[in-house]
Amino acid sequence: MKARVAGLVFSYGGFRLEIDELVFPGSQVTAVVGPNGAGKSTLLKCLAGILTPERGGTFVDGRDLARLGGRERARLVGYVPQEPTYMFNYAVLDFVLTGRAAFIPRFSSPAALDVEAAREALQYVGLADLERRPFFELSSGERRLVLIARTLAQRPSVLLLDEPTTFLDPRHETEVMALIRRLAVERAATVIVTLHALDMAMKFADAMVFMKAGAVVAAGPPDDILDEALLRAVYDVDIGIVDVAGRRVLVR
Amino acid sequence: MAIVLPLLLFVLSLNLGTYRIPPKDVLPILTRAVFSAGGGESSPAADVLIRIRLPRLLLALFAGAALAVSGASLQALFRNPLVFEFSLGISYGAAFGAALSLVFLGAKVPAQAAAFVFAVAAVLAVLFVAGRAASQVVTILLSGVIVSALFQALLSLVEFFANPYALQALIFWLMGSLGQATWTDLAISLPLIGLGVAALIGLRWRLNVLSLGEDEARTLGIDVRREKVLVIILAALTTAAATAVTGVISWIGLIVPHLVRMAVGPDNRKVIPLSAAFGASLLLLADDIARSAFAFEIPIGILTSVVGIPFFIVLLKRSGKVWL
Repeated sequence: MKARVAGLVFSYGGFRLEIDELVFPGSQVTAVVGPNGAGKSTLLKCLAGILTPERGGTFVDGRDLARLGGRERARLVGYVPQEPTYMFNYAVLDFVLTGRAAFIPRFSSPAALDVEAAREALQYVGLADLERRPFFELSSGERRLVLIARTLAQRPSVLLLDEPTTFLDPRHETEVMALIRRLAVERAATVIVTLHALDMAMKFADAMVFMKAGAVVAAGPPDDILDEALLRAVYDVDIGIVDVAGRRVLVR
Repeated sequence: MAIVLPLLLFVLSLNLGTYRIPPKDVLPILTRAVFSAGGGESSPAADVLIRIRLPRLLLALFAGAALAVSGASLQALFRNPLVFEFSLGISYGAAFGAALSLVFLGAKVPAQAAAFVFAVAAVLAVLFVAGRAASQVVTILLSGVIVSALFQALLSLVEFFANPYALQALIFWLMGSLGQATWTDLAISLPLIGLGVAALIGLRWRLNVLSLGEDEARTLGIDVRREKVLVIILAALTTAAATAVTGVISWIGLIVPHLVRMAVGPDNRKVIPLSAAFGASLLLLADDIARSAFAFEIPIGILTSVVGIPFFIVLLKRSGKVWL
């Protein structure tokens, strides 16, 4: 399913996010990159329904997300938050089960079907044997995977991930990115992920969106749009691009 | 399983008290009272059991469950282990409403109705004072303190204008007591408490989702504002219905949910129903002590505070680990 942003305007204080048109193709990973304060997370939150844009809209498969009820939207769009702080130390399985909220009536509790969906999601991210562990006892990398599993249990067509690899060591960073890649390939999900690690974006993303000061500077497949001039324009720092055995590598 | 403890305590408590009724007499008296309409016999034992002890014990069960379940639900909703009926102004809002009705309105307005109106008014005031930052823990606690202080002042005003006779009754009621329960009071309070507690138990898993925070609950498909209002109204309803009859009984709403979480973990699917069972048991037990441990009766609100706080501190020190 294709996700689309059209004529979007959102402002908060002195910050203004303004995007004319942006398309996220289905079964692809799109990496949204840019300096701090560029509006990456704000864009994601508008898509997730956490923030309400002043003008314009976000569409999935032609449907205006603003016109959908909460449950309908949650079945279409899933959001993996950045570094949430929780008060209660739920067991991993209980936490992943909250991803089923859009399928469970207000005065009900999860049924066997929901537990199955949660277990399947944990299996998919490779943490099936941790289901009874308290969430706070997990490592940072495991927590990211559990957060992703929770969103998988929600079964959305569009997956939004807000900096899922920040503070992770290289191994876990690669694992999380490989998982995100698999979601687009195996589950045909439309994946939109904000990132700081440009090398990860180049390796795992089908398309990149460069943002700066609330606007889109460039969007498209990394090979088509990425050059030293763009990096200079977006980040205000010199980053070189060199060829190493047929792969483009960034050097600073 | 969890329902066994309060029921067992209930049956045992029927025998307890200054006027001892032998266990073998309890059931015959109860069955005669139920099956012979219009009062049946009027032996002293039957009088004590039917008119005094039974309503009192029922009130202990329901009020204990009401306070504990409200506290547990509010802690989950506001993601704050320090929030309970007190910290949201509900307790003193309800107390003010009930006092107003007891002193000035007589029997024209049921104390429960006045208590509910002002309990809801208090929460609304708290949410209004907190404003847009209502989701922030510190803001809401601070607003709660302010609003509680206001209602305590208004309560003092009622005391000031009450005639000496009414004042004495009012002060005794404010300390918290189950002894004044009449069937007329219970006929209003128990169904309201039953309804509120049942609804909150129904929402138990929803509270897990809400406890993750507003933004996340929203992305998971929940209409956060509506569900938040629902939980708050239910908590205010149960607390007000209990407080209108019992007066201010503190700490049950804070201690019981924590004890339950220490035992079974934070999953509200267990915490909410177990808080009901354990809150009912605890208040019943406290009342048994209040009315039989000494030659005179201690107001139960004082007892729950004096016994409850050190008990909680000991558990807090001993457990040493996070149980939330």
